[in-house]
Amino acid sequence: MSAPLLQISNLAGGYPPVSVFHGIDFSIGDHESVGFFGPNGHGKSTLLKTIAGLIDPWDGDIVFDGVQLNAKGRMRARTSRNLNYDLFRRRRMVAQTAVRSGLIYVMQGNLLFPEMTVGEVLEIAPVAAAGRQGVGEMREQIDALFPRLRERWTSKIRYLSGGERQMVSIAVGLLALPRLLMLDEPTLGLSPKLRIELSVAIRKIRQTKVPLIIVDQNIEFLTSLVDRLLLFDHGSITREIAADAMPSHDEVMAMMFGEAS
Amino acid sequence: MISADTLAFILMSGILLGGLYALMATGLAIVWTTLGVFNFAHGTLLALGAYVAWQVTQSVSGGLGFLLAVIISMGVMFLVGFLLHYVLIKPFERHENVVLLAVITTLAGASIIENTILLSWGPRDRQISPPISGKIEFFGAAFNTYDFVILGISLLALLALAFFLRHTTRGRSMRAAAQNREAAELMGLNVSLLFALTIGLAAATAALAGIFIGSLRFISPAFGADPLMKSLIVVILGGVARFSSPIYAAFIVGIAESFSAYFLGLYWAPAVLFAMMIAVLLIKPEGLFGHRSKTL
Ligand SMILES: Nc1ncnc2c1ncn2[C@@H]1O[C@H](COP(=O)(O)OP(=O)(O)O)[C@@H](O)[C@H]1O
Ligand SMILES: [Mg+2]
Repeated sequence: MSAPLLQISNLAGGYPPVSVFHGIDFSIGDHESVGFFGPNGHGKSTLLKTIAGLIDPWDGDIVFDGVQLNAKGRMRARTSRNLNYDLFRRRRMVAQTAVRSGLIYVMQGNLLFPEMTVGEVLEIAPVAAAGRQGVGEMREQIDALFPRLRERWTSKIRYLSGGERQMVSIAVGLLALPRLLMLDEPTLGLSPKLRIELSVAIRKIRQTKVPLIIVDQNIEFLTSLVDRLLLFDHGSITREIAADAMPSHDEVMAMMFGEAS
Repeated sequence: MISADTLAFILMSGILLGGLYALMATGLAIVWTTLGVFNFAHGTLLALGAYVAWQVTQSVSGGLGFLLAVIISMGVMFLVGFLLHYVLIKPFERHENVVLLAVITTLAGASIIENTILLSWGPRDRQISPPISGKIEFFGAAFNTYDFVILGISLLALLALAFFLRHTTRGRSMRAAAQNREAAELMGLNVSLLFALTIGLAAATAALAGIFIGSLRFISPAFGADPLMKSLIVVILGGVARFSSPIYAAFIVGIAESFSAYFLGLYWAPAVLFAMMIAVLLIKPEGLFGHRSKTL
């Protein structure tokens, strides 16, 4: 068996001095797709931000495609209360390296660039593809996935609806030619109609064999898309469920919060 | 009663002044919108740019020398600005009080640049000889042709900068980095490089303004202080909701200065400008033009 595409071992992180998640272990193989499910505020977004290199991991390893993306070892605890302490601490991971190797994160509720037009944003988006082949085909795919974006081509992002903004965010992620696409609550705050439209699009993306990590609050939506479901609770992965044993929403609730209701 | 000719003359002088202010203030504004810090070294960048240009005109004279001086000075100052980001701002960007720190580091930078000028060129006043002489008759008053050339070139330079930011991939990337740093990083953009480019471009426009001022008046090592203050007033007055906001404000400031200098006397002009600025801060703190706080 070949090495997995993404291998996370013993990962810990947070917003210093607050620890948010710890002891995270999971891996994702080629063409595999994984869902994260867990209560709000328990650190799913923080975990994905860390994997994407936006914030420094505290401990553990992020290995993507055989390459270690973060500095090895544990981050030294803050030893001084000097306000300048942060100035002398080096970053332990850089978003650019992750992005350029194809590890793409589509942020939750991404506001993108409010004063730029859809066209302008989609025009500069392929920088992350770092000159790899296939941007042209991807543009055609995006036109097919989100025909609405062409209609809004000259509108500024801040005039878009939540759903349209989410479409632009996903399109930006796709134009980076992802080898692994992480979608953080893509259907959050959308009307039921838009939610369906977007899930259709994500399903189509899934069919192109792009591996996905999806965080969502809707269990049915998640189970229809992923091969495995990871339950996330209080900053760690508490359970892993395979595709053939996908539970219903109530069953998951029972697993996570006991038999309360 | 004051004649229409005189009014037109004052107005025209104000507009000519406004063009220069627009050029000076835009550099300050794009750094503020992009990096979120005020560059207090902006004035000394004007001065250094003027001195570099003066040095070039010492070896090559005439119109060619002036043209060469503009090109070399803008190029050199672009590099200086580019490096300033890595020396004065980037090392501190992870500090929770980066805005305050940047005030101190850019002031320190200003002081170092000013003293470098003093050491290299001495304290004596210099003048860059203007490349064009001649007068234009305008409402019965004679203006220097060169003043209009300055206005034209300043506006052209700003137009070119706006075009670059709007229509080139690099310029759009700079705006993206300005509007949402995290999203820009997630797009694979090299945000530090884009920030450095922004300061570089600001420094190059400052150099052009410095050369113009140096060919109208005299240059001395400390001459950047006044342009810095005027640029601050312009940026606060107009706000930075759009690229054009400080440009409109620059003309308002120029015209206001010209009128108050005529009616109240030269020494009252700064007081009037500050009064205007304070009034705007009280009534419409985000600036006269636009509602959003800052974008590029
Ligand atoms: N930028 C931040 N700075 C400090 N704390 C944060 C920040 N963002 C989120 N948090 C905190 O981290 C915890 C985890 O948040 P988050 O990762 O967004 O959870 P989830 O995505 O699972 O809803 C929460 O307690 C939240 O308040
Ligand atoms: Mg979240």
